[in-house]
Amino acid sequence: MKQVLLIAAGEWRYWLRSQLALGGALIFLVLIVATSLLNNLRMEAEKQTRTRQQTEAEETFLSQPDRHPHRMVHYGHYLFRAPAPLALLDPGIDAVTGQAIFLEGHRQNTVMFAESAASADFGGLSWLSPALIYQLFAPLVIILLGHGSVVRERETAMLAPLLAMGISGRTLIAGKALALLSFAVCLLLPLVAGGAMALAGGETLIALLSLFGAYCVYLALWVALTLLASTTFKKHSTVLAVTTALWFGFSLVLPAVAVDLASNSEPVAGKIETDLAMLADSRKVGDGHNANDPALQQLRADLLEKHSVERIEDLPVNFRGIVAMEAEQKLTKVLNDYAASRMAAERRQEKRLIDYGWLTPVLAVAFLSRSIAGTDLAHYHRFQRAAEAVRFAFVQGLNRVHVEKLSYQDDINRNKNEAAWQRARVDASNWQVLDTFQFRTAGISQRIQHASSSIRILLAWLTVMFGILFWCGGKIKP
Amino acid sequence: MKLQADSLHIMRSGQEVLSGISFSVDSGEIYALLGGNGAGKSTTLLSFLGFLPPSSGRVCVNGNDVESDIALARKVIAYLPESVSLYGHLNAYENIDYLLQLSGVSASGEKINTALDQVSLMPAARQRKLRDYSKGMRQRVAIALAILRDTDILLLDEPSSGLDPGAIDEFHQIVRNLADNGKAILMVTHDVYGACQVADKIGLLHNGKLVGEYAATEQAHIDTETVHKAFSSTADSPAHALSA
Repeated sequence: MKQVLLIAAGEWRYWLRSQLALGGALIFLVLIVATSLLNNLRMEAEKQTRTRQQTEAEETFLSQPDRHPHRMVHYGHYLFRAPAPLALLDPGIDAVTGQAIFLEGHRQNTVMFAESAASADFGGLSWLSPALIYQLFAPLVIILLGHGSVVRERETAMLAPLLAMGISGRTLIAGKALALLSFAVCLLLPLVAGGAMALAGGETLIALLSLFGAYCVYLALWVALTLLASTTFKKHSTVLAVTTALWFGFSLVLPAVAVDLASNSEPVAGKIETDLAMLADSRKVGDGHNANDPALQQLRADLLEKHSVERIEDLPVNFRGIVAMEAEQKLTKVLNDYAASRMAAERRQEKRLIDYGWLTPVLAVAFLSRSIAGTDLAHYHRFQRAAEAVRFAFVQGLNRVHVEKLSYQDDINRNKNEAAWQRARVDASNWQVLDTFQFRTAGISQRIQHASSSIRILLAWLTVMFGILFWCGGKIKP
Repeated sequence: MKLQADSLHIMRSGQEVLSGISFSVDSGEIYALLGGNGAGKSTTLLSFLGFLPPSSGRVCVNGNDVESDIALARKVIAYLPESVSLYGHLNAYENIDYLLQLSGVSASGEKINTALDQVSLMPAARQRKLRDYSKGMRQRVAIALAILRDTDILLLDEPSSGLDPGAIDEFHQIVRNLADNGKAILMVTHDVYGACQVADKIGLLHNGKLVGEYAATEQAHIDTETVHKAFSSTADSPAHALSA
């Protein structure tokens, strides 16, 4: 062990005296610190904006004057998704999925972008997040520092004297690996600093440690890969060429190919196509605005029978409100079925993409990181489900007001004159059907469980790489 | 015997590089293995370090078969490759200190200075990075390291190549002193003249075969024909130097 520590310390001394190594590390440090700060500022601003917008939307809804309840159903309401605390490190797919949704009766709207400023960001480097820096650029710094670790000893004819001194190949590689691993941990210190801000934002320590662990495993993988190349090849230039080519393939080429393959092998139906099919199905459940819709005749018959009356005018409740409630319930089931089907298709596509992590660890760590940060597809679906629950609850709440607070006679006569119009309004105090909405990420155990495939893939990569490295260490010759 | 090769055969890439050579080196003895390029000199050295296992025969260090315990053999050997570079980013003290610690030996600054005095490395140069050293200076540092490791055996691969005549003489003097202090030294070299000056025994290697072996007292009787044969792969035979 002492030899391993000595070799690791010797490697650190070499780096500290090498301008190339110091320069590379410094560039990375500037990049990660700048990105972390900018991302933190942006996320904090967005969090405040979305929270404010959410409050304003709720206040606007609640401050509406006396109205017909169904007008309030169509007046609608906005929900905003505040960024997850760890989004300041990994914004994940938030940038492409939107953060706001308009809720109204009879429709499930798609999530949209909260503010026009977000689109301006696409012109700059807003896509560059700390997570992306760790996924793409940290391996490059490890390659820069580590590619010469073993081959340098060989090229300077020091490998033979070292081995002849009784230092085994495995000890040599363990020392070099320890040095590179400790350097990788240093690279992750800004992530810890960012994580501390996420902790202050309400994230759990376990989530932060999990994210740190995920990137430790990922960078350890690149350490093993770099050392393996440095051990296997006899020329400095060959090692650098091979490791750079691997980085290029793993980080840029394979993920792009994988996304394309996953899209083609698990296609998701387009929005127009889905909307047309959904519209056709929704017509079958009846129009909630039309109390005479044939699809709702059974409801009418059941109600008349239940209350032992002959005419809907004699019902103790507003039949139009009942129709609206019933139609909304049936329509929502159709909409939910379509939403579930679309989410299932997206999950299948995601699953296929996760499986491609066996080809490149960059994909595996990207999924794991997003999952832990709460910025993955599962959380996007979670937001959509939460939004739909809010939508259904407030629409049905208003429909209940329609049923109970507005008489059928006043309702059907509302357009006769101004007085009738006024009678068809209900008091604004009935708009208190909204709870304060705050989107929360899933618990950390659920997030980790969701990422279990990616964890398995990364650990398998790590085991195989270090296994091969250990085997090569035993075979090393001058 | 400190070093012993016994009917040593070694195959590399399907070719027989050493064909049954036998020789031995005892304490206090300098054995020079002479031969042309590709004769198998460096292969012989590497076999004593356990880097190249014999296809038949055996190599022994301190009477123990190297193959049975490579670590034990390496523990008592100091090896200087042909291009001694050490670590260019470290100075002489740092190099020695680092490599000594790696080999499990600790030495004070005073001891390191004494060893560097023994190999006549100028005090002014000791704080300079080794990347600025000449080959001769780096060799002195490597020898100082060997002195401090206090190994029984030294294996020197082409120690005089690239050195000027003055440096060669100084180097030979250092090696002689080490042998006089009981070290067993095996050096492989092209330098017939230098080998005759410093070695107690000379072996002539040609195409993996030991074609002649001479004690210091017999050097005057070395058959120039045999030397020609040993260096037959080289354009300019060093036998001329021997006969000069």
